[in-house]
Amino acid sequence: MQSIISTFHLDIKILIAQLINFAVVIWVLYRFAIKPLNKLMSERSQTIEKGLTDAKSNAETLSKTKEEYEKALREAQKEASDIFTKAKKEAEVKKNEMLEDAKKEVAKTLAQGKTALEEEKQKMLDDAKKELAGLVTSATEKVLTKGISEKIDSSIIEASVAHFK
Amino acid sequence: MQTTQPTTIKHEITLFAEPVTHIGNFSITNALITSWGTVLIIVLLVAVLSRSIKQIPGKLQNAFEIILEGAMSLADQVTGSRKITEKVFPLAFSIFAFVLINNWLGILPFGAFGLVEHGADGASFVPFLRSGTADVNTTIALALCAVIGSNIFGIVSIGSWKMLNKYVNLKALGEIFKKIRKEPMILLTAPIMFFVGVLELIGEFAKVASLSFRLFGNVFAGEVLLSAMAAILAYALPVPFLFLEVFVGLIQALIFSILTLVYFTIAAQDHSEHEEHETEHAHA
Repeated sequence: MQSIISTFHLDIKILIAQLINFAVVIWVLYRFAIKPLNKLMSERSQTIEKGLTDAKSNAETLSKTKEEYEKALREAQKEASDIFTKAKKEAEVKKNEMLEDAKKEVAKTLAQGKTALEEEKQKMLDDAKKELAGLVTSATEKVLTKGISEKIDSSIIEASVAHFK
Repeated sequence: MQTTQPTTIKHEITLFAEPVTHIGNFSITNALITSWGTVLIIVLLVAVLSRSIKQIPGKLQNAFEIILEGAMSLADQVTGSRKITEKVFPLAFSIFAFVLINNWLGILPFGAFGLVEHGADGASFVPFLRSGTADVNTTIALALCAVIGSNIFGIVSIGSWKMLNKYVNLKALGEIFKKIRKEPMILLTAPIMFFVGVLELIGEFAKVASLSFRLFGNVFAGEVLLSAMAAILAYALPVPFLFLEVFVGLIQALIFSILTLVYFTIAAQDHSEHEEHETEHAHA
């Protein structure tokens, strides 16, 4: 044993020094490299796992939403076309109604106008007659005062009136 | 290198690490200086790494993660269970890193720098650096860590009573009185079992010796080989051996750490349970 110690210069102090060296290495590697890296790596794999499941559910939601959207779109289109046809029909009916109304109105207005015109015309004629008669009378009076016979007078009147008729 | 030195100075590679200087009665050997260098390198590397640890790894962190991941899966293959690996891995990996960097530092050509010491038998050359693992003190320290650590791990895993019975098999002796009526052969088997336990105890010391001297022998032989080659022809001839030594350094670090894992795994296994299972199997 003594020969081994002397051959290899076994020295308990150096052995302890090397133990301390190694202890430092273990502590540093474990505390600052292995532990945090292992933690980080497991955390990262968890994150990736979560990300993958999230992505999967997201894709599912997306396709579901797309389906729903397309369905809603189809329904809306159908509804819109229904409404459109209905509105078209209604508009057609309304248009016809309005046309009818307008025609009636026009006819009515026309008729009214016609009667009014007729009335006006009649009135004007009557007025004219009256005025004419007055004029003729006054004129005749003026002539008569100058010595024309009543016979002539009335004949003239009648003639002039007839002329106006 | 050696050929350029004056002939009066001796250049033999000693079996032990030469003291470079002394502090009090504590002699600082060149191997110890190299080990401090190793510690410094590891601390610096880890310091740089731990500053930049992020969720999205950089180059250095990536390299560390790859090494760590690979080492963990390798350790899993040895231990056979993640649980044991997680407990033993820091020790085994530290051994690997410490031994590897020590081995490789020994290959660096700084062995040419040193001082000339005038002893009783003339002047001799003492290099400043010598591979830390080319000193038995270092390798014994590491081997003690591994073997004592494995026994502590065994006590923690299966309990101190079972661990004691691995070496001093009191249980086997006790069973003589319990089972002697049923199977008289136990008079023969129990002492054998006890003797096996004693052998295991001796085996623990053999583990320390084999671990430490395997590593020391390989690294020391490498240094001798390199200087021998350099002595034959200093140019080009040692180059292939340098590559060989790089490889040997890696292999020895790997062997040391894997054996540590193996010892820990064995220590965590319950021998008696195993044997009981076997006997049940035999009865069935």
